[in-house]
Amino acid sequence: MNEDIVHLVCDVRQNPAENTRAAARLMSLLENHPARITELYAGLADWPEPLMVLGITGPPGAGKSTLVDQLIELYRKRHPLRRLGVIAVDPSSHASKGSVMGDRVRMMRHATDPHVFVRSLAARGHLGGLALGVRGVLRVMGLMQCELILIETVGVGQSEMEVAEFADMVAIVLAPGQGDGIQLLKSGLMETGDVFVVNKADRDGANQLQSQLLTTLNLRASVADAGAPPPVCMTSALGGDGMDGFLDLLEDHCARSADQWLTQRKQRFEQEVEQAVLQEAHRRLADMLRTSGIGSEGITRVLRGETTVNELATVLLQLGARGKPPYNEGHVDERRP
Amino acid sequence: MTTAHPRARILIGKPGLDGHDRGAKYIVHILRDAGYEVVYTGIRRSPEQIVEAAIQEDVAAIGLSLLSGAHNELFRQVIDLLKARGAEDILVFGGGIIPASDIPGLHEMGMAAVFTPGSSAKEIIATVDRLLSVRQEV
Ligand SMILES: Nc1nc2c(ncn2[C@@H]2O[C@H](COP(=O)(O)OP(=O)(O)OP(=O)(O)O)[C@@H](O)[C@H]2O)c(=O)[nH]1
Ligand SMILES: [Mg+2]
Repeated sequence: MNEDIVHLVCDVRQNPAENTRAAARLMSLLENHPARITELYAGLADWPEPLMVLGITGPPGAGKSTLVDQLIELYRKRHPLRRLGVIAVDPSSHASKGSVMGDRVRMMRHATDPHVFVRSLAARGHLGGLALGVRGVLRVMGLMQCELILIETVGVGQSEMEVAEFADMVAIVLAPGQGDGIQLLKSGLMETGDVFVVNKADRDGANQLQSQLLTTLNLRASVADAGAPPPVCMTSALGGDGMDGFLDLLEDHCARSADQWLTQRKQRFEQEVEQAVLQEAHRRLADMLRTSGIGSEGITRVLRGETTVNELATVLLQLGARGKPPYNEGHVDERRP
Repeated sequence: MTTAHPRARILIGKPGLDGHDRGAKYIVHILRDAGYEVVYTGIRRSPEQIVEAAIQEDVAAIGLSLLSGAHNELFRQVIDLLKARGAEDILVFGGGIIPASDIPGLHEMGMAAVFTPGSSAKEIIATVDRLLSVRQEV
């Protein structure tokens, strides 16, 4: 199989259904070499865009994966021709760097549905807990013409904030019997949610959790003067109760916000490219600083008071402007049998 | 890369009808502790589901756990499906209550390794490490 990014992209784009393997390889390539995502930028402006990227987060065991499974089921029934992608992120072990990714267990009935693509990712110690690979997988799922993309992450630390950077909207899933409810309501989780789900509505304490949640959200909305509080859904993902209402709400949101989401994604792409350009420039300049002698000599001269940091930076930029050959990224071999 | 990829991905699947997942979960955890990223797919999965999941997850290997005695049949189905999907580079190893007399046949059909209840964690990890070290990761 050709591991060249451009070829893989071509294959996936031409025929996503026949090229799941190429799509999966592309995801791995981008996960293992995050810097290579820059190779996708050429032409990204006319890549297909999903209708909605939904982040789903909440405490461990709240029922996120079960909810995702039911959403897949319902969405496929409502839109039989649409493709759907799921990114399930699990933490990596600090000690071994390994990971157990178990979200898929709940979604296996869709494994052979050609319209559903599920990809598990380990966070790999990435700051904030959300996998570095999410960005690449998201792009590839877009390329595969997934209309709905769900990103499941455990909301215990920063990951719920981070998922908001990738998603158009974020659903926070809570469930009764999950330790100290009040503590949860005070946490950062509450600020990220565009919609809230009280899952396990079949369990004792669900109504109580719902009213606590409503009180908290109303209070916050009135204090912050931020308009209407986010909506709250009650679901019982295990049996499927409340799923229709939840999906109705998501699709309403999507219909109202589609244009705004496209603009927002475009801005993010632009920021991403800007970041990549700055990083590349920094890398080249740092390289020049080290190899040109400006570095060691210059730094000594700054310390002696013979020149200034400003002057030294100018010299470096001028040297850069005269055009050294582009920095070689030094990719390791991408061979594979 | 010639050494085992430190974060190679492995999928653990339980085909067949038995619902005893202790063995499968044990393997999941020792692989995790050895640094692998392990996708667990739960009990009673069809070979089709396991193969499709393995392709989407782009794993280097599939580990099959089976106690029901249907290993000859189900392991073969997984291997055949991988071939049919052009994914025969994904290694398949298996474990369970497997009579010693079946093992040569399983190797012959393409199983990269077969473990029995007597296999120690150390032995399993050493074998998986060795199998995956010859395979190159992107
Ligand atoms: N009673 C009840 N149990 C549920 C419901 N939804 C999920 N569960 C159960 O809750 C447990 C956890 O469900 P998951 O879907 O794995 O939860 P999760 O939030 O994805 O868990 P992590 O990914 O481990 O954080 C499972 O045993 C589910 O069967 C529900 O609506 N009612
Ligand atoms: Mg989950």
